[in-house]
Formats: sequence, C-alpha cells, structure tokens
Amino acid sequence: MPVFETTQKMYEVLGNLFKHLANHPDSGPKFREAGIDIHFSITDPEGDIWLTRAGDVICGKLDLKATVEMSLSGDSCHQFWMKELSLPIALAKGKIKAKGPMGKILKLLPILKPAYEAYPDIARNHGIGVS
Amino acid sequence: MSYLELNIDLTDEQNAIKIQAHKFAAEILRPAGLELDKISDPEDVIKSTVYWSAMKKAYELGYHNTLMPDSYGGLGLDPLDIHLVFEELGWGSADLALSIGVACFPAFFASMLPNDILEQNIIYPYCQNTDATFVGCWAITEPNHGTDQLCPKTEVFHDPSIKGQLRARLDGDQWVINGQKSAWVSNGPVATHALAYLSLDPAMGLAGGGICIIPLNASGVSKGRALNKMGQRALPQGEIYFDDVRVPHDYMLVDQESYETMVDLTLATANAAMGAVFTGAARAAYEEALKYSKERIQGGKALFEHQIIKHKLFNMFMKIEAARALSRAAMIYNYNNTPPSIQYSIASKVFCTNTAFEVSNEALQMFGGYGLSKEYTIEKIFRDTRAALIEDGVNDSLMLIGAHSL
Repeated sequence: MPVFETTQKMYEVLGNLFKHLANHPDSGPKFREAGIDIHFSITDPEGDIWLTRAGDVICGKLDLKATVEMSLSGDSCHQFWMKELSLPIALAKGKIKAKGPMGKILKLLPILKPAYEAYPDIARNHGIGVS
Repeated sequence: MSYLELNIDLTDEQNAIKIQAHKFAAEILRPAGLELDKISDPEDVIKSTVYWSAMKKAYELGYHNTLMPDSYGGLGLDPLDIHLVFEELGWGSADLALSIGVACFPAFFASMLPNDILEQNIIYPYCQNTDATFVGCWAITEPNHGTDQLCPKTEVFHDPSIKGQLRARLDGDQWVINGQKSAWVSNGPVATHALAYLSLDPAMGLAGGGICIIPLNASGVSKGRALNKMGQRALPQGEIYFDDVRVPHDYMLVDQESYETMVDLTLATANAAMGAVFTGAARAAYEEALKYSKERIQGGKALFEHQIIKHKLFNMFMKIEAARALSRAAMIYNYNNTPPSIQYSIASKVFCTNTAFEVSNEALQMFGGYGLSKEYTIEKIFRDTRAALIEDGVNDSLMLIGAHSL
C-alpha cells in the first residue's frame, strides 16, 4: 500500500508542504529569486505537482516547460522529505530521476531545508504515519 | 583568435562569458602556462609566484566557481556556459585549466549533499575565497589502482579480491583514515582539501567505497614530492599519505550504498569537462599551425599555399568542429540529467583528447624542426595533449567502460 493512498491525499500533503516552503520568510524569497519552475512527476499514485517561479503551488497538469523535472514515486517523495532517502541513494537505486541544469538543482538543495523540517508535522496532520 | 559560433541561439550574456574567459585565458593562463612549463623542478612550480598569481586571478574572477551553484556564491552557470568557459581555459593552457577546474571538487560534491557543517566549513568558504587559499584536489587513483577506480557497474569494480589502498573506519563520530593516494592526484601538492575516494567495505571490492572531504592540514596527512611529468607541467600532481587521519562524521559525503552511482556521476562530470578543455587545446594547436603556415615560406611560397598543408589544416578544422559539437552536446545532456548517460561523457573525453593530440601532432609536424623547439608554443601543447590521453581515465579503458553502457 503506498504512503499516499490517493492522488488527492498526496496533493493535500505535498501541496501544503510546498506552500509552506513558498511562504517561508527565508526560503520563499530565495526560491522566487531563483526563477525556477519545478515539476514533480509522481507515480503511485499518479500526479503532478508544480512549484512555479512565482511561488505558486499547482497540483495537476500544467502547460509549462519546467526548469527542473523530478520523476519519482509517492513513497520516494515521502521518504525523501522524511530524510529517510538521501539524494545519492535515491539516484543510485533509480528512485529519483532529475532533469534540468545541474547548477539549478544544486541551487535548490539549500532552499529546501525548511521543507525537511516541516514535513513530519504536515504528514502527521494529514493522517500519514510518521515514526 | 576566436571561431565562428555555429550556435545561433547563443545569448549576448553567453557571448560575453566566452569573450571574458578568452581574455583571461590569453592574458593570464597562456603566458603563465608557458613560463611554468620551463621550470625544471615541479617543486619550484608549486612555489612559483607565477602559478599562484594565475590561480589568484582565476579566483578573483570567479573561475574556480564555474561549477558552483549561485546560492552559495558560485557562478550558477548553465551547462552551455560551463562549456564555453572550459573551452577557453583549455585554449589558454590545459594544465592550468585543469588545476582551476579540479579546485572545486570538495566544495562541488559537498554542494550536492549539503548540511550545516559542510556549508559552514567547506561550501561557503570555498565559494567566497578570492585569493586561492582554499584549493581542492581530486584524490581517487592509488599506486595499485588507476582507471579501475573509474569503472563503475563493471565486474572488476565488484571483485572482492581487488581492494582499495585508502581505507576509512568509523570511530565514534569520526572517520579514521589510513593509506595513500597515487602521484596522479591533481592539485595534490597545492591543495588544502581533498575529495578522497576511499574504501569502507573492502569485502565489496572497489564498489565498497565512500567519498570523503579531508582537510589536508589534519594531523597525519603528508605529501610526496610534486610529480615531474612530460606534459601539463603547470598542473601540480603528487602523492598524499594518510596516517590515522581523523575527520568529522559529516565529511563522509557518500558511503558504499551509493558509492558506485557517485563514481558514475563523477566520471560523467569530469569527462564532459575534459571534452571541453581539450576542444580548447585542439583549437590552440590549430591556430598556432594556421598562423605559422601563413608566415613560413618554403619552396618560394607560404606553407599555407601548399596543397598538402591546406588539406591538413582543413582536416584539423573539421575535427575541432566535431569535437566542439560532441562535447557541448554531451555536457548539456549530462549536466541536465541525473543520473547521467556516462557513455556520452566518455565519448566526449576520448574523442576530444584524441582530437587534441592528433591536431597538435599534425600542427607540430607543420612547424618542421622548429616544432621540436621549446621556443614555440606548439611544443608544449603537444606534450599537454599527450598527457590527456591518460589522465581522467586511460582512453582505451574508458572506451571499455563506455561500451559497458551500450
């Protein structure tokens, strides 16, 4: 059974997570300044989540060319934000594929920090089991 | 001399990046490389103000940050921009281009796996450095292990009878490191920090490795003499020894679980950069030959007017254009896709270094006896490009590694 039982549940949890990031006093402005559109193409459950350069979080299909595209499963998403799956291990095991300029991806990593901190609570609040 | 830019989509900013990098290469790297090449003892190269002035200028202008993301103060360049810079630096002096390029290895890999300690101790201090007092080296090969350290996903890499010579064991919250790296550690003699590829689980063979940042002022680190080489004499290379060297737990960026993938990523990144640098070196050789062919009179006319010389020059020109096309495409693809398709980076490295050697060999031949003289730049370029067939993985072996992905 996947961590996110439905696409809707995944949108609620990850959508909230990215809204938290976009509104974060430190990371939010840095993200908007970076001028990057990120597309998470997720499988199991199927879904698409966008974090646009304007700081908008959009769940679902969008006719936009992403600067960075991350392809991964819902479970890998959960593990990644729980810090149970590091980027190199995810890459080593083929759990995450990233498309986009390496420099832009590396630029994102420090901006994502508040999302790591916030995720366990957000997941718990949506009924996702967190150890 | 520049070249006709075939990419009609190059932006004004990219053109400016290329022009600035060429200026730096022509005014700083080329003269420094030629001067350093004449120094007979490589120990004197690493003490030379010429070497350090060139490095400091590179740091002042930010070229040490070519691969670094701008969130840390790096240049935040796109893959094509990176290629434009590396080609020009390679045109100036391939050895110094590599010394500048490899300086970022510890900080660059730390930026892939950032944590507070790495940001504070490694990434920010490196990016903010402007006087070349934070210099990285790439410590991967060992006396008994050359290209076989660079063959992930092959049987050799998983052979438990093949064991690394630099080992780390965890002791509390520190790693304890013992062993040595080979004389081919690029920047080894001048580095303040090493990005070391070492063995964590010898039972897994070379695949049981880890990647660790080691400050080289740590107790137990010692260095051998700078290596005396036939080419790339301005790239300091030398052994590093580790005797019960202790580093913080957080400095181990990668353990055996993802080591193989990160070696793959390392090779894909480094080989793509080599393709760009040696496209530049090939162009430098070609330009020397073209200029000389229009000045040197033989048989009553300029060399250029002899049909055989024209034919050779056009052959060189075609090879360089092909090298640029391949190396740009490989870099753009592999710096945009993670995990990368390693065979394209390898194809770029092998093709471009072969091209650089073939072009410099033909160029030297055109100079006749003068080509053998140290008075002419082509003699140095020839030796530099010969070394490129071996460094960053011996070309023949790299082709076998690349073929593994076909």
